[in-house]
Amino acid sequence: MMQLQPQAQAAALAVAPSASAVAPPTANPNDPASGDAPPKQVAQAMERLGRAGRLIADIRLGADRLLEALFVAGSAPAYSTPQHIERTERVVIQEEAAMRRHFQDLRALGRQLEESGVLNGALKARGNSWGLHMPLVCPDGAVVAYAWKRQLAGQAGASAVDRTRLALKAFTDQKRRFFPHLEDEVLSHLHDGEPGSTKKPRLSTSNGELEEESLSEILKNLETEVPNMKIFTYRHLDWSKRASSLASLMDDDFVDPSKELNLQNMGKSRSSAVTTSIDQVAVIELLVPSIFRAIVSLHPAGSTDPDAVAFFSPTEGGSYLHARGVSMHHVFKHVKEHADKALQYFISVEPRNALSLLLRWIASYQTLFTKVCSKCRRLLMMDKSLALLLPPVHRPYHQTSNVSPDLQEAYHIGCSSYDG
Amino acid sequence: MPWHPSPGATLNSQILAEACACAESLGGVKDGRWKTSIFFYRPMTRDGAAGQQGQTHADLPRELLGVALHDRPGLYFSIVRAAKLVLQADAAFPQVMEKLQSYKARVALNFEGFQYQLGDFCLRIGKCVPNNSEALRGIMMEVEYYPLSSIEKSRAIMEDFFDIWQETVAKKSLPGHFIHVESNFSEYGLSDQYSFQHTAVQYATCLQQLMTAVRG
Repeated sequence: MMQLQPQAQAAALAVAPSASAVAPPTANPNDPASGDAPPKQVAQAMERLGRAGRLIADIRLGADRLLEALFVAGSAPAYSTPQHIERTERVVIQEEAAMRRHFQDLRALGRQLEESGVLNGALKARGNSWGLHMPLVCPDGAVVAYAWKRQLAGQAGASAVDRTRLALKAFTDQKRRFFPHLEDEVLSHLHDGEPGSTKKPRLSTSNGELEEESLSEILKNLETEVPNMKIFTYRHLDWSKRASSLASLMDDDFVDPSKELNLQNMGKSRSSAVTTSIDQVAVIELLVPSIFRAIVSLHPAGSTDPDAVAFFSPTEGGSYLHARGVSMHHVFKHVKEHADKALQYFISVEPRNALSLLLRWIASYQTLFTKVCSKCRRLLMMDKSLALLLPPVHRPYHQTSNVSPDLQEAYHIGCSSYDG
Repeated sequence: MPWHPSPGATLNSQILAEACACAESLGGVKDGRWKTSIFFYRPMTRDGAAGQQGQTHADLPRELLGVALHDRPGLYFSIVRAAKLVLQADAAFPQVMEKLQSYKARVALNFEGFQYQLGDFCLRIGKCVPNNSEALRGIMMEVEYYPLSSIEKSRAIMEDFFDIWQETVAKKSLPGHFIHVESNFSEYGLSDQYSFQHTAVQYATCLQQLMTAVRG
C-alpha cells in the first residue's frame, strides 16, 4: 500500500522546496563496522526521496506532453495528412511507454522507502537511532527531514547566521504543523492534508504574526494596488484552452488593435461567467498590456501556495504558455530565471505570504522596458557573458513588503550585486 | 534609418560592409538575405499622355507608392502620401492596377541586404538600388525588437539601441552616419499597436529621406 501517490497533482512539489529549504546533509561520520548506521540510512533515504521527486517531475512533464499531443490531435482538421496523424500517434505511444516506466520506477522506489521506514515513521520507535530521525513524508507530501538541533550543530559555519536563521524558521514551521504533539503549544489544530481546507485563512499563531489572507482577498488587494495590471484566474484546463486561443489570435496577418481588448474582455467574461470557484483556481494570469504576461500556478488548486512562475510577451500564444514554460524571447527568459529564484526565496522565508509577495514583486516588472538600471543608469546594455542586449531584468526580492513601486530598483544581470 | 553621407563624400559599398561588420561585432548572427521593393506609380491620363495636368486631373494624387515587404510576400501595401492613406492588400493587387491602367509603375526601387539576429533584436542592413541598374542610391537599415508591439512602450528601448548602434558605427570613422527618421503614424490613422502597415509607412518615409540626402 503506497502512501506516495504518483499523480500529477500530488506530492511532487512539496518534496522539492522542502528539500531546498532544508540544509543538505553533511558527510556524517559513517560507522564502518555496520553498513547500516542511522546516518547512512538517513542519507540513503534522502537520496531516494530526491530520486522520487525527480521521477514525479518526469511524470508531470510526461502528462503535459500527453495533454499537448491530445490537444494537437483533437484540434487537427479533418483533412490532416496521414503522416501527421501517425506522428501524433507515435508521440502518444512513446509518452505512454515512458510514463509506464516512470510509474514502475516510482513504485519500486516507494517500496524501498516504505521498508526503510520513511513513509510511516516506524523508526521513531527504534532505540538505536543516534537521535537522528528518518525523513518522514507526511500525508500531504511535505518532507520533514531531520532531528533539528543535532543536524544544525553539525553544519559548516560559513554563512551561518543567514542559513541557520532560515533553517530554524523552516524547521519550526514544519514542526508546528506536523508535530504539534511534541510541543505544548496552544495550537491544537492538526493539519488534515485535504486540498479543500487550505483555502480557509489559517489561525493566527501564538507569536502574533498576521493572519493569512485568503486567495480572493489577496487578488482583490492586488487589483486595487496595481490598477495597470489585469488579473485573471483559471483552472488548469481552462488555462490550456486560453493559451492555445492566444496562439491563433496572434497569428493573424491582420493584427487588429481592438483584438487585444476583445481578448481581455472575453477572458474576463469567461472567467466570471464560469465563476471559477475560488477553490479550483490553479492558474493566475497577470497581464500588463503591451508589456508582459506572467503566469503563476498554485499548488494545490485553490490554495495560496505558488509553485511556479513564468513570463511571456503579450503577443505570445500556444501550448508552451504555462507556469513552467519558457518564452521565446531572451528578455523574458532571463526574467523567468530570476523569478524562479525569487519564488524559492519567498517560499522559504515567508511561506504564509509567499503568494502576495510574489504577485507584488511581479507587478514591479511593469517598468521592465522603461526603468534604467540603478547601478549604471542605462536602459539597454550588452551583457558580455550572454552576448545579448537586455534591459534591467533583475529586481531585488530580498527587501520584501512595503517598498513603493517607484523606489523598487532594477539591475542588469551584470550589474546585479546579488549572487542569486 | 537611412544613411546620411557627409557632404562631399561618395556613397560606396564599403560603407555597407562596415555597417555589417558593426552588426556582427555586437554579436549579430547573419540570418539570410532580405529584399523589400518600392514601386512608384504615376497617374495615367485618359488620352495616355502621362503627366498632363488637365483640370479634371488636378485632384488626383500625383504619386502612389506600392510596397512589397520582405516579411509578408503575400501582401502588398499602397501608400498615397499626399492623402496620408495606407492600404494593405493581397499580392495580386499590382495586377489589378495594370488592368485598370489608371496608375502605371514607372520606377521600382529595391532595398536588399543581409539580416542579422541580435538576441531579441533583428537588424536588416541593405542598399537601395533601382530595379534596372546597379547604381547604389543609398544605404539604410531596419531594426525590429521582437518582445514588444507597442510603439509607445518600446520608444525608450529603441532609442537606447540607436545610441548603442551609433557608438559602434562611430568607432569606424566612416564618412557619414545613420539618422533615425520618425514616421508620423497618427497622420496615417495607424494605432499604437505595430503592424505591417506601420512598416510600409516607415519605408516610405525612409525613402523620402534618402532622396533628399542624395540630392542635398
